[in-house]
Amino acid sequence: MNVLAILMIGGVLAVPGVALVALRWASHRGELNLPERAALLPFDEEEPVGRATDQILNRQSAES
Amino acid sequence: MSASSQTFSALLPGDVSDDSSKRALLAEIDASCRVPVLFFVISGLLWLLAGTALALVASIKLHSPGFLASWEFLTFGRVRPAHLNTVIYGFASQTGIGVTLWLMCRLCRVPFVAPGLATVAAIFWNIGLTVGVVGILIGDSTSIEWLELPRYCTPILFFSYALVAVWAIITFRLRREQHLYVSQWYLLAAILWFPWLYATAQIMLLIEPVRGVVQAAVNWWFAHNVLGLWFTPIGLASIYYFIPKVIGRPIHSYYLSVLGFWSLALFYNWNGLHHLIGGPMPAWMITVSIVASVMMLIPVTTVAINHHMTMWGHFGKLKHSPTLRFVVVGALCYTATSLQGIANSLRSYSEVVHFTHHTIAHAHLGLYGFFAMVMFGSLYYIIPRITQREWPSLGLISLHFWACFLGLALYVVPLSLGGILQGLAMNDASVPFLKVVEGTLPWLKLRTFAGLLLGLGHVAFVGNLVWLLARVFGPYRKPVVAILMGAETAAVVGK
Repeated sequence: MNVLAILMIGGVLAVPGVALVALRWASHRGELNLPERAALLPFDEEEPVGRATDQILNRQSAES
Repeated sequence: MSASSQTFSALLPGDVSDDSSKRALLAEIDASCRVPVLFFVISGLLWLLAGTALALVASIKLHSPGFLASWEFLTFGRVRPAHLNTVIYGFASQTGIGVTLWLMCRLCRVPFVAPGLATVAAIFWNIGLTVGVVGILIGDSTSIEWLELPRYCTPILFFSYALVAVWAIITFRLRREQHLYVSQWYLLAAILWFPWLYATAQIMLLIEPVRGVVQAAVNWWFAHNVLGLWFTPIGLASIYYFIPKVIGRPIHSYYLSVLGFWSLALFYNWNGLHHLIGGPMPAWMITVSIVASVMMLIPVTTVAINHHMTMWGHFGKLKHSPTLRFVVVGALCYTATSLQGIANSLRSYSEVVHFTHHTIAHAHLGLYGFFAMVMFGSLYYIIPRITQREWPSLGLISLHFWACFLGLALYVVPLSLGGILQGLAMNDASVPFLKVVEGTLPWLKLRTFAGLLLGLGHVAFVGNLVWLLARVFGPYRKPVVAILMGAETAAVVGK
């Protein structure tokens, strides 16, 4: 039972433990200091901020 | 650059410093994803159809027990877990992996590395799952909820998943964009959490089984975390990518998105034991789980505020974008199911709704309303880009959305209310149990009708996809439609 308890408690602690290590890694890399830059990452020259995409339901009819 | 990075970089095409190269790269990324992503997605959708059929059989049996009662492989005890596992591991996991592969390539700015690896993973995943579902139907279920697949198929699934994880790590190492978007945080976490959850549960429940109530504790730790640490991160990653992308506006607050991710990572995995309220578990374990469940208010609220404020002023775009429709409905369902889950975790509320159809409504609001709807929306965005073809029928898109939306509402609302009434009646010692059961029949019949609507939506979606694929691979191939992409990209693709 002691081994089980260690396994279970260890298992439950593992996720937040790994999360804390990853958080420290992210902080050291400066990932948390670039909110504006990071928020723009889904955009690019082809699909920039300000351009809506996927507006296909206003087509008159499907392409044939 | 480290030695390992240099080794991986040999797999990639040359530098992409100028603008035209970047545009070409975007089209190249989409095209490179075609085979592996389509393999996962098509497999997932075929499992969705199978899972829907099994769900309908199980649902009808709840109010008409004589339905298909003469075949033992279609008894409720087999059909219901077969439905659950086809939907969880067949549809949701495979479409989730497909969307993850595409998002990782897009956000890492690298073409699909080693597509053969991912395709082999998809083949083995489907072989393992087919063996497992047939095993359930012939009576080999493990009888452990969410882990009913027989032990002999899980090594195949695990091997397949390991290939996907290896692929994700290689792609991450090769990324050309050094900073991470919040969606990547969620995706990487999901990719690393799932094998840990699955392996731990397999070892502690099937390979070296623990005894007694500890089994239930491990079971619900796994089952709850599959939702929260596997499907939820993939769903939220997709929402954080597609809402900004479709409306052309960055997310309202990147800080809030980061706070939401880290609070999910810290609190979610403690939640599962609230399913055992009233059971023979140490009270402190249940209490810790309830506290952690209430702490989920932090990630849920941050995500809800962020999504709503990002959409603020852009709700008109819902009219024109199928992706946005599905994803926004999914985001709303995420907030709703999370708040409902927090309420369910409280002892006073759980005393009423535990062991009722309210729980079934809650599970479907989460996995279908949130995750499946977000996946549908994501696929409406991804598939035209990787196949370079438009969706052939707008009518089928509308049919898909409205059938699923109405089906979901008809499923969740009546079962939630009916579950509360059922729970109140069960807690009333003066009401005979048979009366309680009879009182659920109207809700169960509505559930079957709702399931038919959902099935109609799924058929419309798959029909539209088959039509699109016929244009891609069939003898009458149509040209690339310019609405999908900028003219320059279309030119690059055409070369």
